[in-house]
Order: sequence, then C-alpha cells, then structure tokens
Amino acid sequence: MSVQVQRLPYGVGRFQVGFWLFILVLLSVVGWGIYAYSRQLVEGLVVTGLRDIGTMGGAAWGLYIAFDVYFVGVSFAGITMAALIRLLRLEELRPVSRMAELLTIVALVLAAFSVLPDLGQPVRGIVNLLRYARPQSPFFGTFTLVISGYLFASLVYFYLDGRRDAALLARIPSPLQGFYRLWAAGYRDTPAERERHHRAAFWLAIAIVPLLVTAHSTLGFVFGIQSGRPGWFSTLQAPAFVVMAGVSGIGLLLVIAAVFRHVLGERERLHEAIFRWLGGLLALLVLVYLYFTVAELLTTTYTGHETEVRLTLALLTGPYAWLFWVSMGALVLGLVALLLPYVPSVVPVRVPSFRPAFTRAAGLAAAGAGLLLMIHRHGPRLAPAAGAGPEPEWVGWVLAGLAVVFVLSWFPLFARSVVAAGVAGGLLVNVAAVGKRLLIVVPSQTHGTLLPYGPGSYTPTWVEYSVVAGLFALGTLLYTLFVKVFPIMEVAEEQ
Amino acid sequence: MPRYAMVVDLDRCMGCRACMEACKVENNTPTAAFWMYVFRFEEGEYPNTYIWFMPRPCMHCDNPPCAKVCPVGARYKREDGLVATDWDRCIGCRYCEVACPYGVNYFNWKEPVRNYYLDWGERDVRRVTNGQTPPYRNPDLDRPYGEEKRRVAGGGRLKGVVEKCTFCVQRVEEGLQPACVANCPAFALHFGDLEDPQSSVSQVLGRKHSWRLLEELGTEPRVYYVGAHPAHPESRQIEEVKARV
Repeated sequence: MSVQVQRLPYGVGRFQVGFWLFILVLLSVVGWGIYAYSRQLVEGLVVTGLRDIGTMGGAAWGLYIAFDVYFVGVSFAGITMAALIRLLRLEELRPVSRMAELLTIVALVLAAFSVLPDLGQPVRGIVNLLRYARPQSPFFGTFTLVISGYLFASLVYFYLDGRRDAALLARIPSPLQGFYRLWAAGYRDTPAERERHHRAAFWLAIAIVPLLVTAHSTLGFVFGIQSGRPGWFSTLQAPAFVVMAGVSGIGLLLVIAAVFRHVLGERERLHEAIFRWLGGLLALLVLVYLYFTVAELLTTTYTGHETEVRLTLALLTGPYAWLFWVSMGALVLGLVALLLPYVPSVVPVRVPSFRPAFTRAAGLAAAGAGLLLMIHRHGPRLAPAAGAGPEPEWVGWVLAGLAVVFVLSWFPLFARSVVAAGVAGGLLVNVAAVGKRLLIVVPSQTHGTLLPYGPGSYTPTWVEYSVVAGLFALGTLLYTLFVKVFPIMEVAEEQ
Repeated sequence: MPRYAMVVDLDRCMGCRACMEACKVENNTPTAAFWMYVFRFEEGEYPNTYIWFMPRPCMHCDNPPCAKVCPVGARYKREDGLVATDWDRCIGCRYCEVACPYGVNYFNWKEPVRNYYLDWGERDVRRVTNGQTPPYRNPDLDRPYGEEKRRVAGGGRLKGVVEKCTFCVQRVEEGLQPACVANCPAFALHFGDLEDPQSSVSQVLGRKHSWRLLEELGTEPRVYYVGAHPAHPESRQIEEVKARV
C-alpha cells in the first residue's frame, strides 16, 4: 500500500469561524421551522393554507406533499451514480459518487420529514403505518420501497463505499480516529478485500437499480391512478415522475459538485469531464420531460373532455399560469444553458451584446421588483382569491422578459465554461422541478372537482413556508456536518 | 345482510336544506363541514331559467376510491354497504379526500370543540347559558358499530382526522332513518334496504328511472337519484358555499 496521507483531506476535521457561523445560521432556520411546526401541532392544520376540497374550495394537499415529492425526486442522484459507475464502469465519475449517495440519503430523510407535518396525527402515522399497513394503498410503496428500501440500500452502499477511506484515515492520528476505525470495521484495504468489496458493491448496484424505476414510479402512482382527479389520472404520471426525479436529482448534484470544486479548490479531481457527463445526461432528461409535457397537453386538450380542459386552461391561462410558464421557461432556459458548451466554436453564438454589467444589474433589479410586486399584489399566493382585481398582465410579461434577458446575458460565460453552464442549468431545472411538483399536486384539487363546486384556491401560510425552509436548512446542515467528519470524495492515492 | 341505499327524488326536493341542518344537529359537525350538502343550481339564460336542487351526501360507493387508497384501513366498507371512518385509526393523511371524486370528506383542521358556530366562552353567550357549556356532542357516536365492531366518524372528535357522512349508522342500527331522511319535509329522501322489495327505496327505484353521480368512474355509488338530470357544466351554483374554517 503506497497511500501516505499526512492529515485529513478535504477540510475534514478543520472547523473555522466561517463554518460555525454557517452552522449557526442553519440551526436558527431549523429552529424557526420547528417553532412553526409546534404551532401546527398545537393548533392543528388550520394554521396552514390547506382546506377541504369541495364546499370549502381548498386543496387538502399542498406544499408539504409537493416538497415530499421533490425530495424523493432529488434522491434519484445517488442510485444513478452507483449504476453509472459500477455497472457502466464510468470511472471518471467516481469523485462525485459519494456526494451523490449522501445527497440521496439526506433527501430521503427530508422526504420522510416532510410527510410528517402533512399528517393530522403524526404519532399515529408512524405507529399505524406499521400496524395496519395495506399494500393496496399507493402509499404503501412510498413507505416500503422509497423510504425503507431505497434508504436502507443507499445506506449500505454508502457504508461499503466509504470503508476503504475510513481504513486509510484511521491510520492518521486525529480526534476522529475512533470513528474511522468503527466505520472501517477491520477492513485493511488488501487486494483480496478490495476485490471482494468491488464485487459486493457491483451486485448491490444491480440490486438497487430496479428501485430507480419502481421507487419513483410508486410516487407517480399515488397521483396517476386516481380517476376522480382530472390532471392526475394519466398513464404518463409514473414515467414522468421518474424523469422529473432525474432532472432535479442530477441538477442538484451538478450544483453540489460545483460548490465543492470551488470550496475545496479541487479543480483537478472534479474535472470538467464530470460536468460534461452530468450536464449531457441532465439535458437528455429535460428533453424527455418536455416531450412528456407536450404529449400530456395534447392529450388533455384535443378531445375536449370538459373537466380536463378546464384544468388545463387553469394551468395555461388561469390562476396557475404564472407558475406554469415560469417552470416551463426555467426548464427551457436550463436546457439551452446546458447545451451551450456543446455548440462548436465555429458556430458563432450571437447573444445580444449588451454591456454585461448593465444587463445583470437590470436583470437583478427586474427580478427584485417582480418579487416585491408579486408579494405586494397578492401576498405569496398560489392562486389569487376570487375577489382579487384584474392584474395588469403586461407588468408580469415585462418582468419575465427582463429575467430572460438577465439569464441570456450570462450565456457567453456558459458557452465558455461547462461548470458554469451546469450550475445554471441545475439551478434552473430545480426551480422548474419545484414548480411542476406544485402544479401536479394543487390545481387538480382546486380546479379539478368533478361536481360543480366551483374553482377553489390555495395560499400557503408562513407555517408551511417555515417548515419547508427548516427542512432545507436541516438537509444542508446534515450534509455540511458530514462533510466535516468524512471525506466527501474518495481519498486520492498519492504516490 | 341488508344492502342499504339512499334514493334522492329531485322532483320533490325544494332546496330547503333541512337535511343539512338535521345532519348538523344529529352529528354535531364543526363549522364549514357539510356531511350532507345541497347544491342549488340555476340553468339557462334569463328569462328562460330553471332552478333545481341536488342533495349530496356521501355516495357510500360499492367500489369506494377512498377506502382503496387508505394506507391504514381506517376508511372501510361495512358488510351492509356503509362506508365508515375509524377515527381511532385514521392518521390524517387526507388521501381519501383527494381520491374522492364527490368531495364529501371533511378534515378536522382544528379541535372540533373550538370550531363550533358559537363560542361558548364568549361573554354574551355566557350570560344566556349561565356559564354552562351544553354537551354539544352526540354520545351515540362514540360507540363501536356493526358486525365489525368498529368506530365511525363523528366519535372521539379529534383534531387531525377525516370525517364524513355515515348514513347515521347510530340511528340505522336502531331501526331509525338517517337524520336527513327523517327530517326532509318534502319526502325527497328515501333510505332503506335494497334486498327488501317492500322498502321505499326498492319501490321508488322500481317505479322511476334512476341515475347515479359520476357513474362513468365505476365507483358504484349507493345513492340513487330519480328525476331531473345529473349536474352538467351549464349547472351554475346560485351561491357557492365557500365557508372556511
């Protein structure tokens, strides 16, 4: 063994002031989320914007379920990387393998935590799901395949994957030595052990790849097999969930990889080929999703089934139009950004050549003004209340146009740098992913009633926003803390 | 084993909503929860307009989408056909509610005792009641019912569980009619056993053409409508009830 590591790599075990400040900020957001949830526990779900479907004209599922679906979707990243690296032998992707696995585990923990606040009786939820589980319910798959099976398999894979590094790090004197020794559990990285390890990881990867399809499909079936909800009842629901999971998972992985490339200064290990690979995969998934969207829209509108058309119109031109077009716009812009590095340099990419500083300032101002205007106009509403006055449409379109100009002004950079393109694409498609999750969950309840109850509305309250923000902070916290106690990338073999 | 069903004679319904009121009194449902709801529709263009009414209880489907999706089996179909909710088991995920095409489920968004129409703690109310809080709750609802000996909605009165129409199982098991049926002044509602040819439901269904709501979904509702026609896109609600908690 020629591995000689003098001190813990990748900033592990080194805690600076900035790190503690970051943790403090995250902890306070988590605390705020816990406070908001405590209000909900005491008062009941009346503190949320959720209400009954029908005479109350509300949505019974909202932000919590949308983000549950989003978090499960993000967990797509880990298994994909395991499959690509182990089964397709894409060794150059190795450095992001652990990042992806950790993302999966954190995302699944968050998914479990975002279902809990949705339950009216959270304690019973945990007990009764075990006592009275019914396989006939589409939720069964969510709890067995996704939360249990997927999470357990990912943990085992993660553990095995980290054993070699734990063994290496256990040789270095540090306060974490005991932890590494525990993780390594006797593993000494001999050739025989390594061979056995590779074999186990290979078969484990084979075993969990089917989960890639089944786990994400079960969540699609939660919605897709409900014939009583226009917009949900669709064969395309499960495949679209799998693809959208890939979009959000790979997108977020691109962002995380770029963050570590920058923070750890690991430009050599997190090389551009990784970003090119992931960006290409992401672009492909986005294309498939756009194709699904077109197929879905054509199917629902062509025959003119009354309830389907009403729902689709609510999406395209009605109260959800802004969210729909922002999501689709983010998806398309993200796709273009991801594809820009592939444009051969002989093709002149003519981007409107404003002074970059000027356009960026204009774009930021537009985005800020738009946000302020939106909050001022209808509060953070998803659907304006019935009594809200008519909106001057052109204001929204002008702001959207400015936002597009803002993104466009960065295009020369994306054409030059595959990393920048990956980050922009990853962020944009995640905006789209959250938007699309909300558009799947909410409109079918407020505008998809089959009896003539009339259109409803749903406005999330500060409690829901706070709980979701707390979940994001918790996820970041778990991720950050782990990165400080274990190397986030495989320890390089230094000669 | 009886096969309970309800028949709604829309030619007789006059939209007085006495059934909604009776349901509230019998089952003590909280504010804005309507286990029984009466649509009031207007159709046509002035001056050729037409007004009609359509009561909407729970359909007690033979193929209930709500019971199918319940992850813990809290929503169940009884032997006699009633679809009931076990409040002792419900985890409050509201999957039944989003799966139901008829919109009959009501979630207890807050503690029901704090969600009645009158605030018994208010000073003016206390002056009248002499500080006494009436037992605004039907103790019959707390008992287990049926061959299954299971709970039915309305008992317990917990926050965070789903409730809906039970066909007044506490009355039916004592040989009474559901509260809405018993209190309909126009005899528009009938309740009884489909197996019994002498029951009023069998009699009405034998005489008149009947239809069921959203039959195309295959939910097999146990509530039959006679007269009028199913509500369609031209049926505008005269006043949309958007009462919220």
